Amino acid sequence: MNRYFLGFLIIAILAWYLSFLATRLDRLHGRVETSWANLDGLLQRRAAIAIEIARSDIADPASALLLTFTAHQAREASVRDRSQAESGLTGALSILLENSETISAPIELDLVRELDELTAKIKVAISMHVEAVSRTQMVRKKFLIRLFRLAGHAPAPVVYEFEGDVF
Amino acid sequence: MPLGKKRIGIVCPYGWDTPGGVQSHVGDLAEYLIAQGHHVSVLAPAINEEGLPNYVTSAGRPIAIPYNGAVARVLFGPLAFARVKQWISSGNFDLLHLHEPAIPSISLLACWAAEGPLVGTFHAASTRQKIAFAITPFIEPVIEKLTARIAVSEAARETLQIHLDTDAVVVPNGIYAKRFANAHVDDRWSGNTLGFIGRFQEPRKGLSVLVDALPTIIEAVPDIKVIVAGPGNPVDVLDSMEPHLRNRFTFLGRISEEDKANFMSSVAVYVAPNTGGESFGIILAEALAGGASVLASNIPAFDSLLGHGEYGTLFTSEDSRDLAEKAIDLIRNPAKRRQLAVRGSEYAKNFDWDVVAESIYDIYEMAMVGSTGVTLSSDNRAWNKLLGRNS
Repeated sequence: MNRYFLGFLIIAILAWYLSFLATRLDRLHGRVETSWANLDGLLQRRAAIAIEIARSDIADPASALLLTFTAHQAREASVRDRSQAESGLTGALSILLENSETISAPIELDLVRELDELTAKIKVAISMHVEAVSRTQMVRKKFLIRLFRLAGHAPAPVVYEFEGDVF
Repeated sequence: MPLGKKRIGIVCPYGWDTPGGVQSHVGDLAEYLIAQGHHVSVLAPAINEEGLPNYVTSAGRPIAIPYNGAVARVLFGPLAFARVKQWISSGNFDLLHLHEPAIPSISLLACWAAEGPLVGTFHAASTRQKIAFAITPFIEPVIEKLTARIAVSEAARETLQIHLDTDAVVVPNGIYAKRFANAHVDDRWSGNTLGFIGRFQEPRKGLSVLVDALPTIIEAVPDIKVIVAGPGNPVDVLDSMEPHLRNRFTFLGRISEEDKANFMSSVAVYVAPNTGGESFGIILAEALAGGASVLASNIPAFDSLLGHGEYGTLFTSEDSRDLAEKAIDLIRNPAKRRQLAVRGSEYAKNFDWDVVAESIYDIYEMAMVGSTGVTLSSDNRAWNKLLGRNS
């Protein structure tokens, strides 16, 4: 009798622990998605601003061409090529804005300021996303999670190799 | 700040009525956000429930436990947990901001109980927290729930990386830089003076290190004076030192914010000999904003705040001989002092609330993306739905 009770208890605890692990993993998967959505949105906005800058008087024809090209590339890149494309855009923007002190027209100053604010946000968004991804990868490696396939059909998250190279 | 007004809940782990860096940071942040039009509620332990600002909800009486070289007044236990849950479910928050969630406190309880956008701020900076972090395996899944993490300094970020293996965005604590910009030199405190602000009776504030250094400094600078501001009883301190040192000291007691700004502008050198247990060192940021040249011990928080010595002078912690040498060098060298002060006050603009709160709010916005608000995690459990419990 006692033995059955003990067995039942162990199963109950295991079931609770598995449900706890599954919730934990589910939450992490959710966070990977929302942090990516957030980062993606910010990057799209950056590309839009880059195109606006390319059309403004800040850019000389050559940099305008480069900027438009890299911005479009960043917008259309697949997830796999995304980080490289975004780095390209970062490069193009930094070449252009290296000596942004010379800009004086208010509209252009607004553009540059908006870009600065966006860059700060993107940095935070990247660190939030990278954190979510690495956590998720770590938890997915746990023995019990693999044994009971708690990750289900959720795709394994990929690291966005983008740290540090936004300005 | 665009995008509408939000309902924000902030949890402060330490007793609201005991003074401290975290408490005043939370208070200032709450007031700043309220001034921006947001609805803010702060949950904190409190000894005396009367006289709390109306945005603070008491979670009960705090318990005093020794932590990080000081006595921390925190709160946990079943009753506190019930109050935390009640506060979360009745608050209807869009986001929770938890301060110091890695120590056993109501912040940790709130992190455990809540589901949704959670932001955590880590204040502690110490590499010797083995005991506090020995409970890591239990804390990890809880800390993992935080949508975004903020560390108040590079040192706090490193502590987090070492002990909890997680990264954070660095956003410093805030000061009202404008208060310090209008400060003027007060003759009572200028001249060859060393300034000290803090609860001087606490050993970790390090006043004794300064007292030990004083004889050497007197030999080099005969007219040196020490001005101490802060709550406490000076009699005990004076009794414990050599008689010929006593007349060097002036104790001001607690001073107003305005006087504090003038104090920082007046003293020749602001000395912070703290031996540890400091999470950020907001007083140094205020000293820099007030235009003081700063001499501080090289504990991690100060080292990181002063940019490894770029914006102030550092001495080896608890080494009064080193303190004396550096102090003499500074006093004899007004040009160097002025140069440090100019660089420091420029740097201190980074700590202004307008800058700091904006960065914090940016992080809030990102944490809130795609969420419908904070709920109790028990509401989401499958068996509650099965049993028809809808709360």
